[in-house]
Amino acid sequence: MTTMAQDTQPNKLTPAELAKREGLRARKHYVADKLAAITEMEERGEISPIIRLEKSYLCNFQCTHCSAEYYMDRHQKKVFKIKDARRKIDLDDIRELSRQADELGLARFVITGGEPLVMKDFDAVVEAIDPDKHYVITDTNGWFLDDAKARHLKSIGVEKVQLSLDSMIEADHDAFRNKPGSYKKVMRAIDASLNAGLNLLLSTVLIKGRAKSPEFLDMCRFATERNVGLYVSYAKPTGSCTEHPEFVIEKEDADILRELEKDYNVFTHMTPTYGSFKGCITVKGIITVTSTFEVTPCPYIDFSLGNLRETSLKEVLARGMRNPWLGPYRPDCIIGEDPKFIKLHTEKTRGVTHLPVPWGQGFSDTDTLTD
Amino acid sequence: MNLNELPPLFDEHGRCMPANLNAPALAQSRRYFGITTPQIDYAAIHARSTEHLGGSGILVDEFARRCENLMHALRADSRTHGISKGVAVPFLLPRAEHADYGEALSQRYIPAVAHAFAQAFPQYSFTDHNKNVMAGQLGIAPGSRHERLLQAMQQGPVVGCYFPCLSEYSLPAALERVQALPEQFLLAGGYDTSAALVGTPGLLQRTDGYPPLLWLAAVQAEKPLVGYYYEAYGYNLTFNRRPHFGQAAEYWNSGLTVLG
Repeated sequence: MTTMAQDTQPNKLTPAELAKREGLRARKHYVADKLAAITEMEERGEISPIIRLEKSYLCNFQCTHCSAEYYMDRHQKKVFKIKDARRKIDLDDIRELSRQADELGLARFVITGGEPLVMKDFDAVVEAIDPDKHYVITDTNGWFLDDAKARHLKSIGVEKVQLSLDSMIEADHDAFRNKPGSYKKVMRAIDASLNAGLNLLLSTVLIKGRAKSPEFLDMCRFATERNVGLYVSYAKPTGSCTEHPEFVIEKEDADILRELEKDYNVFTHMTPTYGSFKGCITVKGIITVTSTFEVTPCPYIDFSLGNLRETSLKEVLARGMRNPWLGPYRPDCIIGEDPKFIKLHTEKTRGVTHLPVPWGQGFSDTDTLTD
Repeated sequence: MNLNELPPLFDEHGRCMPANLNAPALAQSRRYFGITTPQIDYAAIHARSTEHLGGSGILVDEFARRCENLMHALRADSRTHGISKGVAVPFLLPRAEHADYGEALSQRYIPAVAHAFAQAFPQYSFTDHNKNVMAGQLGIAPGSRHERLLQAMQQGPVVGCYFPCLSEYSLPAALERVQALPEQFLLAGGYDTSAALVGTPGLLQRTDGYPPLLWLAAVQAEKPLVGYYYEAYGYNLTFNRRPHFGQAAEYWNSGLTVLG
């Protein structure tokens, strides 16, 4: 999966959003209190990133732009002829992560992968995160998300679904996802999620030039008419997309999108949301915890900020915030737009069999922007 | 010692070079975030300033002459010569005496930027995202020399140039740096930065890359780690407030002002 959406949409609280928040408060006041405290935390100079949890990379799709492909067993077996023997996270690790996150006031987990809904232990993972302490979101390609599954997700404490949709043209979506029939399954999943009372976000990948296309405008209209947020992720030259540098956007694409935000329910990870102005949300707004307990600053940057078996979450976040590439604030997508960082990242990850690149070899405390 | 033997204070791109700082600033800049040097049209700047900030009584020719003299003096000094290689934004402020800095900024200067921007770029928008009431809350950072601008404004209209040359400094470092610069350099705050944007509303417009965020570094906010700033959002312009963490960032820029 490649989604890294924030738990927010454009700037103003709509009546529907207010109703959702009141509903959450009635059911999960502890979680609602933590979410409400994020603005105050940011005011104090503290951060409250969403934690993307990649417990498993199993997936029933093989998408053209997948950021996780190089972490997958199938890739390591096929390309490197190896089996990853590193220790993987288990439910106890997730409980510990949940505890540390809660202690720091962090409030949101996204279960991602791979495709989360193929995980046999999905329900146990939700339980280990603890939906009474954290707002739990799942990414999905929608293949398995029918009415029964959506109701089940809601019943175990999942609050939100982030559903990938890569084109309003059925054939293009299916081709991009390398999965015939997947567009129809997404449409089914939209209805199922809304019927089950799950919050829903559509996520889509923006490749160079797409922002100007009629198809993209159709998608913006579709999301807005369904009263669903459309989260747009720039294509980054990592994972499967390493083979497609032509997908990388230019500033014009980003600026067109910023203009579309005025008229449609569409946003990126840099869009100001509900009074929060984080710019690029690496570390400030999101981190990824990989299956080996490494922490990366976003799904597309394969440099670790530390391993949670060796370093506390608090210190890992501090490393990110003091790194000149990541903290404290920048307006652009570092891995999607900054040519120097893209080059650095490409060079340091090329041929690496076990991602992410460990702390000290990718990112370190001696990093400068001008080396 | 001959002053001309002292090392230059600004590099060949106009950046004020960090020196002997306790607070963080990036030693070198890769100039990733930058402002495209604007075409200086004194008549247009004068007209916008007069329309949106009020009449100053200074004619265009005098405005232009005083700015050019100011720049000439900076060019003539080997220590300050480098600043003339960077972005310089002439501005004009009418005589004014404000009892409350925050109130004047929110009631007069930011709306003036909004109007100037709307007039110049009707297809885009100016947004003031700041929800904090500034009246009664803002002061002048001690050591910033910004009070000299206010004193000058009390005495009459002010001609000056704004230089966004403290790039990649933390706010504490910008404040520290100005104290070691020659006396004519003031740390820019709310009125002068706003006046620069009124006269040159497209200053932060850039299509081929990202411009930096412009801190109002001489403004002391109501909390120690918070600051106010102008920032582009795509083709649009915004005003906002945020924590600055006391950190340096490649994206952060503070300005110097020289009065003419």
